[in-house]
Amino acid sequence: MASYILRRGLLALLVALVVSFGTFALFYFATDPAQTIAGEDAPPEMVEEIRQEYGFDRPVSVQYVAWLGGVFQGDFGESYFWKQPVGELIREHAGVTIILALSSLMVTILIALPLGIGAALKPNSWVDRFALSTAVSAQAIPNFWLGLMVIILLAVMFPIFPVSGDATWRHYVLPALVLGASSVPAVMRLTRTGLLEVLGADYIRTARAKGFMGYQLIFRQALRNALLPVVSVLAVQLGHKLGGSVVTESVFSMNGLGRLAVESIFNSDIPTVQSLILIFVLTFVLLTLAADLINAWLDPRIRMG
Amino acid sequence: MRIIHPRRVGIGLTSLLAAWALSMSVHADARSDSLVVALAMPLTTVDRLYSVQREGLVLAQLTDDGLFHVDPDTLEFVPLAAASYEWVGETRLDVVLRDDVKFHDGSPLTADDVVYTFDWVLDRDSGTSRGPVIRGWLDRVEKIGEHRVSFHLKVPYPMALRDMAVSVPLRKQGTYAHTGIRAVEQQLNGIGPYRVTGFRAGREIELTRFEDYYQASPKANPAIKYMRFRVIPDQGTQQAELLSGGIDLMLDVPPDVADNVRHLPNVERLEGDDIRIGYITLDAAGYSDPNTPFKDVRVRRALNHAINRQAITQYLVRGSAQALDFACHPLQFGCEGTGPVYAYDPGKARALLTEAGYPNGFSFDLWAYRDKVMGEAIVNDLRVVGINANLRYVKLNVFSKVRNDRDMSAFFASYGGGGTADASAITGVHFVANTPRNYSGDEELAATVLAAERTIDPERRLELYRQALDRIADQAYWVPMFSYSQNFLLAPGLDLSVPRDGVPRLWQARWSN
Repeated sequence: MASYILRRGLLALLVALVVSFGTFALFYFATDPAQTIAGEDAPPEMVEEIRQEYGFDRPVSVQYVAWLGGVFQGDFGESYFWKQPVGELIREHAGVTIILALSSLMVTILIALPLGIGAALKPNSWVDRFALSTAVSAQAIPNFWLGLMVIILLAVMFPIFPVSGDATWRHYVLPALVLGASSVPAVMRLTRTGLLEVLGADYIRTARAKGFMGYQLIFRQALRNALLPVVSVLAVQLGHKLGGSVVTESVFSMNGLGRLAVESIFNSDIPTVQSLILIFVLTFVLLTLAADLINAWLDPRIRMG
Repeated sequence: MRIIHPRRVGIGLTSLLAAWALSMSVHADARSDSLVVALAMPLTTVDRLYSVQREGLVLAQLTDDGLFHVDPDTLEFVPLAAASYEWVGETRLDVVLRDDVKFHDGSPLTADDVVYTFDWVLDRDSGTSRGPVIRGWLDRVEKIGEHRVSFHLKVPYPMALRDMAVSVPLRKQGTYAHTGIRAVEQQLNGIGPYRVTGFRAGREIELTRFEDYYQASPKANPAIKYMRFRVIPDQGTQQAELLSGGIDLMLDVPPDVADNVRHLPNVERLEGDDIRIGYITLDAAGYSDPNTPFKDVRVRRALNHAINRQAITQYLVRGSAQALDFACHPLQFGCEGTGPVYAYDPGKARALLTEAGYPNGFSFDLWAYRDKVMGEAIVNDLRVVGINANLRYVKLNVFSKVRNDRDMSAFFASYGGGGTADASAITGVHFVANTPRNYSGDEELAATVLAAERTIDPERRLELYRQALDRIADQAYWVPMFSYSQNFLLAPGLDLSVPRDGVPRLWQARWSN
């Protein structure tokens, strides 16, 4: 197991480095960070001075190695846009994203699992149809549109929650609902399919023959196996939410990592973009690894294999 | 990663809200003592010396004063913290300071503070955002009395007052000596009518009226005591906040969104001029391609005739926007070109193209980073005369890179020049020799523009700018397009003057009931 974790860890680092260099090079070839820092209306002498001050006139490879050297010493560099250490910047924004991601994952689980289980237990019934139409709707409605709809309904017409911001727990309710809804279709369908498959398996028939019924049969015998792929998907969804809640954070004006990433990209804030990408990639790969480990824990056959 | 188009979202939101809003009369109560303003872009600092953002200029009008300021009615540069000034020759400016100006910490403004501020800006290591510009013309500042300073210029520079008004807020002596720049942000010690009482970068800024502000200032006694700036990047969300009373004022609202929202009973629309102009630059020098058709003046003139600027301005830009004939804004000093004016005439455009050897037109990439609808209208107009323009619509940072590399055959862009009512703000950046925005390759024009920038005498400057603008028009280096208009959405009961230069003066805001 240790060598497996080490191998996956090294792979994660390699992926992160490749993505990071690709992004770094793309930024330098596609944008002019000096002009962005100076501002679009800045006179040329100002742009030139910034170019020299920040060392943008050095070769890309030299700049990348310098940045990477800092990262290995725990220094992510200083943000060109915010003029503060990137590590500090990420720490300031991470809290919002983590809370939002976890709460939205909770929303997903609370909606998708009961729907999926209900649909599997009563296939082709109205429960199944309801679950299916919920999934289709959640998949079809774009995040930003759903966001605006819930704002209009629950923040403007019936002012139960604040429109935007991230100061209190109430600010997280609507964005968590919106972000969570986007993962419902995948998790619901997987739960339904997995449970249907398991319910038709031999060991369930045997369990039934032994007298296992109802709650015990579903939750102790069937669901444990049916949820194996769901765990993997939830881990991937959490990765998406930690790195890709850009739209939700923008619509609800939340100061999380997603919004920081967008602002940094638009402002050619390369050290911040680089560091965020590194973190997003590592998070994603590590969450996938965690999902594998949880699967192994849940299913002894995987461990043995 | 999907990014929302704010305008699309705004229009969608507006449509949905309309039915509801028409039957409801819920809106923010007039708040006599506070004003909440939405900012689309995060402000990274409250220190104007380190800010390049337009929002920073709006904020600095409240928290900081310079020696001079831009009169919102005349757009002239007039004394503010200065009591008077006198040009002693062309490269020396003597300024007498007011003796009743106080910093937010209660200490009086002295000549030492002014010298310190400009010395700090002149110091390369200070890293101020406008330092490179100021260092271009200012040699040193000398104290010649307790309230008198003398500015020694490297070269004659008529825009010195502008730079002092817009780019250099005054700082207390020693401000940056013991604390870092970021520490200053938390307790900004300015001399403006409001002091910063809270700053969370990227989230919000809180201001409180400064009660010891000098009474002789035109900004004295602002009606609203507290101001709060909230960063809300999405315009749809800003509208929802406005309707629910979460904010009182939206800035820089696109005209189509403003058109839709103005029908709602709980929102008022304010519209005004903006010194920002839109234009198309053509690669006359052939930097992007030695064989580009734009090297031929007849082709450039054909483009000027082919684009219906009047219609684009009237139907797409709207508001107080005007179609332009010259490379400047009509409100700017020196914008008095007399050279050729190109009327919309597709027939003449075709004739010029035929004469230039392009009877069947040609293809080129038209780069743009904003106003996509206008860009598409331009492409359509060009198609009528046989020119196939491929609109390359990209983000600003990508656009800047390609433009600065001089890899564009033509680009559609805009320029605000910090709201400066002087032709130098536009010609200087676009037609002097060392700017990557200059695609004309015209050294004689560059010399004329530089001469105008180094001339104090207003009459001579007018003449030089006339020559430059006529030359640009005659050679059709640009297709000047239009000036912009500014739209604001505000809560009912909020009075705010319409700024002529597009920079809102929030110290003038007041609640009418």
